[in-house]
Amino acid sequence: MSTGHELLNQIETKFPGAVKVDSVTERVAFLSVCDEQLVALADFLANQMNARFVMEIGTDKRPVNQKYELSYIFCLDQEGFEISLKVMVDENKLEVPSITPVIPGAGWAEREVYDMLGIVAVNHPDPRRLVLADDWPEDLFPMRKDFEHDNRPPAAEVKKIMKEPDGNATVVSVGPFFPTLEEPAYFRLFVEGEKVVGCDYRGFFSHRGIEKLADKVLDYNQVPFMAERICGICGFVHSCSYCQAVEMAAEIEVPARARYIRTIMLELERIHSHLLWIGLAGHIIGFDTVLMQSWRVREPVMWLCEQITGNRKTYGMNLVGGVRRDIPEDLHPKILETLDKIESESRTIIDAIIKDKPLLMRLQGVGTLSREDGRKLCVVGPTARASGLETDIRVKYPYAAYGELDMKAAFQTGGDVLARTLVRAEELFTAIDLVRQALQKMPEGPIMAEFSDIPPYREGISLIEAPRGESLHYVLTGPDNRPYRWSVRAPTYAQLQAIPDMLSRSTVADFPLIVASIDPCFSCTERVETVDRSSHTIKTYRREELLQQLQNKYRGGERS
Amino acid sequence: MWLSKFKELKLCLKAGRVTLPYPLAPGETMKGFRGRPVLNGDLCLGCGACAAVCPPRTIFVIDEQDTRTIQVDYSRCTYCARCEEVCPVGSITLNNEFELATTNKNDMKLSATLSMAKCKNCGTPFTTQRMLAKLTDDYYPEWMQVKVDPPEWFSICPDCRKKLEASRLKGGSKIV
Ligand code: SF4
Ligand code: SF4
Repeated sequence: MSTGHELLNQIETKFPGAVKVDSVTERVAFLSVCDEQLVALADFLANQMNARFVMEIGTDKRPVNQKYELSYIFCLDQEGFEISLKVMVDENKLEVPSITPVIPGAGWAEREVYDMLGIVAVNHPDPRRLVLADDWPEDLFPMRKDFEHDNRPPAAEVKKIMKEPDGNATVVSVGPFFPTLEEPAYFRLFVEGEKVVGCDYRGFFSHRGIEKLADKVLDYNQVPFMAERICGICGFVHSCSYCQAVEMAAEIEVPARARYIRTIMLELERIHSHLLWIGLAGHIIGFDTVLMQSWRVREPVMWLCEQITGNRKTYGMNLVGGVRRDIPEDLHPKILETLDKIESESRTIIDAIIKDKPLLMRLQGVGTLSREDGRKLCVVGPTARASGLETDIRVKYPYAAYGELDMKAAFQTGGDVLARTLVRAEELFTAIDLVRQALQKMPEGPIMAEFSDIPPYREGISLIEAPRGESLHYVLTGPDNRPYRWSVRAPTYAQLQAIPDMLSRSTVADFPLIVASIDPCFSCTERVETVDRSSHTIKTYRREELLQQLQNKYRGGERS
Repeated sequence: MWLSKFKELKLCLKAGRVTLPYPLAPGETMKGFRGRPVLNGDLCLGCGACAAVCPPRTIFVIDEQDTRTIQVDYSRCTYCARCEEVCPVGSITLNNEFELATTNKNDMKLSATLSMAKCKNCGTPFTTQRMLAKLTDDYYPEWMQVKVDPPEWFSICPDCRKKLEASRLKGGSKIV
């Protein structure tokens, strides 16, 4: 019996009649549940079945059925199975019980749903605004369908929502321009002497409403180009993930060659992203040799991408159904040659790092996140793998051509900055190996699927292991050749919640390094269009959940 | 520790200087690079396919009385080359130039203006003359070798075609 049916049986035994099955496949189950049962069911999934909460997506379906729909996405990582719990909210009620008391990692998502749709999560421990600006009018909710994408409401009164420290801790403000990552993010650290005892976070300064643009203006094949601009480093992840979500919803079969090309591009992106991060980490701790050398090694990858796609970043390769450019045979030798060069040069650099004692002392035991805390806080990607959690989407939920390639997820048990560095170093070599395998196995054939119209009101969920962790795209197809709802959760959204935990045993001096060690992409988290900064700046990550966690932990809220 | 420092020194020396002399020497781009868009007004049909796919919606189709202008404002261009991909006659292409900074925003506008063809029935302009000519050519390709007059409805606007067809079904005059 498949995982899906087994799970549904268990749910049915525990909650008879509570769940209606909308559809179930090998990989994903779409379930509907009434709001009274939601908390108990979420609690059961997260705390007994070990499911990981990924995201909550709110959709204004009033034009279709007079309801709002909330989809709570969970992942069973051991089995590689996704679950979507759907709750219908009446347009006159606008309330749903909060699951944050049982799943702390859901805090940001519920606050975002309030900001965007005005649906209150009852019993939320920290119902502050998350995404919208401090001077946004109280009663305007931008993701409602009756809100126009170009509506610019007049500014309302500015509300101060940042927290004050308990007791007599001192506030140290970092931001609103984060100094080492040169991105908009505002941390308030509460310190006693050198020790960090708490912090609060305000982000989303660069939220620009791309999800709104997609459901009002752009069509299916215009969205990938905007999705690509969510991140200046791992843009291909987002365009690919979006396309996969639409393909799943519309049941479009992507040709094998296109899947291999996507895999190759994803791994090339991981190579340059990790090399960039290694350089950046070196820079933050004042070891600029690493920065210079790893960025030097990285450059040929960028040239290679330019040759394959026509640009060193923003590749513009993905469309719904496949890719736009082929990787011709005569480029293969060049790719292999570049990979060999990167491999040997990266080894030298990583050897130098690993054998450099003063450097190790700077990384070891800093910002430690235990396996258990990592699990509770739902961290993803290299951060999770460095804490001994075996979550790698490529292995657990194979997409593109990963199912046909041979790979092992890198993982470490240290949980500190050093472990995160080592995981990324190992992944660099795994990625090189994957590109080689994919080039060898890539079949001939078309690179674009043939399909007719995309049917409306179908759902698609796509997970991708981005260089920084798991990235989720959700698409509900719509009737006018555009998504009815498109939602993105970038990996930093999940990682940032773990920051308070990592900081709790640290000093002010370690703060920049710890934040950098999750390889954060603040702007992605906010789902903005970031500037293409691939050549000379820093990666960005997202941060949505941090606020929630910070408050829970440090502001007298319940700590899970 | 000293050994590792020594190794690092060797690594740097071996790599040597890698910074390119740009901008003193020109920056090279790879083949297939997607740079500045150019519009060839001699080829453009005014079909508007490029405007329909452009992700930042920066290609405009401006219909005036007797003309249609295709205007590309590439200050907002994302260099995706979707326009190039869909253009049926190759009139919009991306070249390999990337130094596009300018002090005048109008430098980033390209346009092609085409004359419109008028409906034989009601006189409303309904498509560009070039588009009509291309349709006519494609309909009677050269290999047929016999010059046949294009069907009459070619030069009638869609609205009139509907009306005429409706009246034909009701037993009125037939359009050829
Ligand atoms: S390259 Fe892309 S963004 Fe630029 S004009 Fe063409 S379609 Fe529009
Ligand atoms: S440039 Fe090409 S696609 Fe655009 S209107 Fe002219 S012919 Fe049509």
